[in-house]
Amino acid sequence: MNPIGVVAALATFLSVWFGHVSVRKVEFISATIWIPTTIFTTLGLIVGFLSLSTANRPLSVALGILSITLLIDALEFRRQQNRVKKGHAPANPNNPRHARILQEYASATTQDLLKRDPTEQVLSAEQAQTTL
Amino acid sequence: MNYFGLLTGISTLFIIGLGFPLVIHSERILGYLWWPYMLGLGLVLVAVSLFIQADWLAVSVGVLGATFAWGSTELKEQAVRAELGWYPLNSNRIKSPFENLIRKWKAPHL
Repeated sequence: MNPIGVVAALATFLSVWFGHVSVRKVEFISATIWIPTTIFTTLGLIVGFLSLSTANRPLSVALGILSITLLIDALEFRRQQNRVKKGHAPANPNNPRHARILQEYASATTQDLLKRDPTEQVLSAEQAQTTL
Repeated sequence: MNYFGLLTGISTLFIIGLGFPLVIHSERILGYLWWPYMLGLGLVLVAVSLFIQADWLAVSVGVLGATFAWGSTELKEQAVRAELGWYPLNSNRIKSPFENLIRKWKAPHL
């Protein structure tokens, strides 16, 4: 039995889960994009250095995967902001950056349009708002 | 310097990259009610990795398994994206085996 594949699978699943949730939550409340981007980039580089420094192969794998996902998450903050502009992610009116987006982009909305169960039919714009 | 972990991270990036078209095309062709099968395939791949002696191959198969497992949690939201018109919606999807039973289960979303 070789457990290193399971270690890699767990590291991947948990890192992606962490990134998926944290990018959405942090982008929602952060007044700037550059601060979380810088923090995640720094963390990604530190974890990458730790991965290079350890002689323990399973630990090196887990840290290597976490490092790369943190660096990708750093880029995701900008992409998440673009989703907010398009209305594909909810805007936070209490966040000054999002308040500006709500003023400038007609497509931006405070509603989370994805927070529903599938109906297996096309929804009109009106249905999309009313069936939440 | 131990480069194995960081090289694994970079290859993970490419394998996860496959997860995006996997979810989009699976939802379009099959529908979100195939999620238990995608999750099962992911878990089988992770289990198979236990029996692979070459570390680089075990890691790749494990990460591919995790990508399928994660993809299964994304199918429901992808179905909603298609209904909202953000992606093409296919009304002639291939029905999943035991669809009526699966419909009663709550599709995972993380």
